[in-house]
Amino acid sequence: MAEQLLNKDVRKQVVEILGNMDGEVKLLLFVKDKDCDFCDTVASLLDELTEVGEKVTFEKHNIDSEVAKNYNINDAPAIVLLTPEGKDKGVRFYGIPSGHEFGTLLQDIVSFSKGALSGISEESQKKIAEIDKDVDIKVFITPTCPYCPKAVITAHNIAILNDRITASMIEANEFKELSMKYGVSSVPHIVINDSVEFVGAYPEEQFVNEVLKAV
Amino acid sequence: MAFFEVSSAKKTTDLKSEYDVIIIGGGPAGITASIYAIQAGLEPLVIEKALEGGQMNNTDKIENWPGFSSISGVDLSEKMAEHAQDHNVKITNAEVVDVKPGKMKTVILDNGKEIKARVLIIATGSNPKKLGVPGEEKYSGKGISYCATCDGHFFRDKHVAVVGGGNSALDEALYLAKIVKKITVVQNLPDLTADKMLQKRIRETGITDFIYNTIVKEVKGNDKLDKLLLKNVKTDEETELDVDGAFVFIGMNPNTKFLKEKVELNDYGYIITNDHCETNIKGIYSVGDVREKEVRQIVTAAADGAIALLDASKRYFQ
Repeated sequence: MAEQLLNKDVRKQVVEILGNMDGEVKLLLFVKDKDCDFCDTVASLLDELTEVGEKVTFEKHNIDSEVAKNYNINDAPAIVLLTPEGKDKGVRFYGIPSGHEFGTLLQDIVSFSKGALSGISEESQKKIAEIDKDVDIKVFITPTCPYCPKAVITAHNIAILNDRITASMIEANEFKELSMKYGVSSVPHIVINDSVEFVGAYPEEQFVNEVLKAV
Repeated sequence: MAFFEVSSAKKTTDLKSEYDVIIIGGGPAGITASIYAIQAGLEPLVIEKALEGGQMNNTDKIENWPGFSSISGVDLSEKMAEHAQDHNVKITNAEVVDVKPGKMKTVILDNGKEIKARVLIIATGSNPKKLGVPGEEKYSGKGISYCATCDGHFFRDKHVAVVGGGNSALDEALYLAKIVKKITVVQNLPDLTADKMLQKRIRETGITDFIYNTIVKEVKGNDKLDKLLLKNVKTDEETELDVDGAFVFIGMNPNTKFLKEKVELNDYGYIITNDHCETNIKGIYSVGDVREKEVRQIVTAAADGAIALLDASKRYFQ
């Protein structure tokens, strides 16, 4: 058997965290055959997660597939979370959700199992729900950045509220070209619809205001 | 640091409207206070805006916390959070945006929630000071960084400047030394002020050189930072240093913006307390780096946490 990614201690904690799940959560993993250094790693990771969490399942698809088109996925490795009803809430992870972001993935899984309830304030929820344009939020991170999970979670919490919003965690080291394109050299670096950019884990209200600026 | 960290998933989202003690900040001071609260039979809530452990997460190696001859900052952070959670301390992820004093203190979170407690402990720590020179804002996130663990990897095999010569500057330089090609430390004083052991280690990297008596006068570049304008404070001579990035560690500012006019602060924004870590407002305590004091270390932060909680438990819960 291949060496496991999650050691015994981490596994124990994952069991505990996923023990809080209600419904089943399906993860869609998108991979490509060439030029994907980390596709296999993410597949192994999700494999282990499904072993540990009985309410977590995953499906692997190629980015050339129809499924990838349906979810508008053009790069790999990418993870899409689905609610127990099979609904896509616009939550994406590009690259290995490793380091501090592994906790973010677990948090999202538990939240999705409970119907993907957004933790943000009612006032912000209203503002976000009213958006009637497509919004794409990219959150560039590094796994060693302690401020990044807050930014990713906030972005995901915003995406959950509106079907037209997608929020992606992007591992900057793995997606070098994309990071270069946006001149990322400090994280978290957030890009909204290619029109609004900021660096830092903004408090929720401020983050929501940046989203509103972009629409 | 482990390849897969779970701590950020272990937060409480299910909050009550009232606790005995609310602790703002989950660094060593806040975590210690929370553990003592449990021991005193109280129900604490820790509110952390990023990750438990606070600035320890940005520290490469910690070698002055008894019990561990050497431990990474991330690992010690995780151990402290686990310790608290094993004692049933609830930790939630949010930023406090306002505080209302009174017999019951109210804190308002960035997600709009309001929570009350009899005792409030402020353990918000501090954040890196900026240079305050032209070009810094412009190139912030475009070559200027205040967090080596976050951004170091964008400078693989590059030449970076580390501005500052104290413990945090050299600790971060040591982290960067594993990634970058060359480091130039720019220090405003005639010597480094970091611990001797740290100084020795940074010299041993063999890729670090030092410029003393020198300040950064301006940050320059095009799309990205590409040079620093330096000024020798003794000779007034100005020189340019070509670098791909600059990591700034010239000291800290206390995280007390949300507290202005709520509790007494000193001229630098640090919270003034008595010997029991209590502020001028009864029932509001302040512990760790955010408090006005001489020594800011992990052990002294933890000590503050214990002092404050024991005093609070005696005064307000008996």
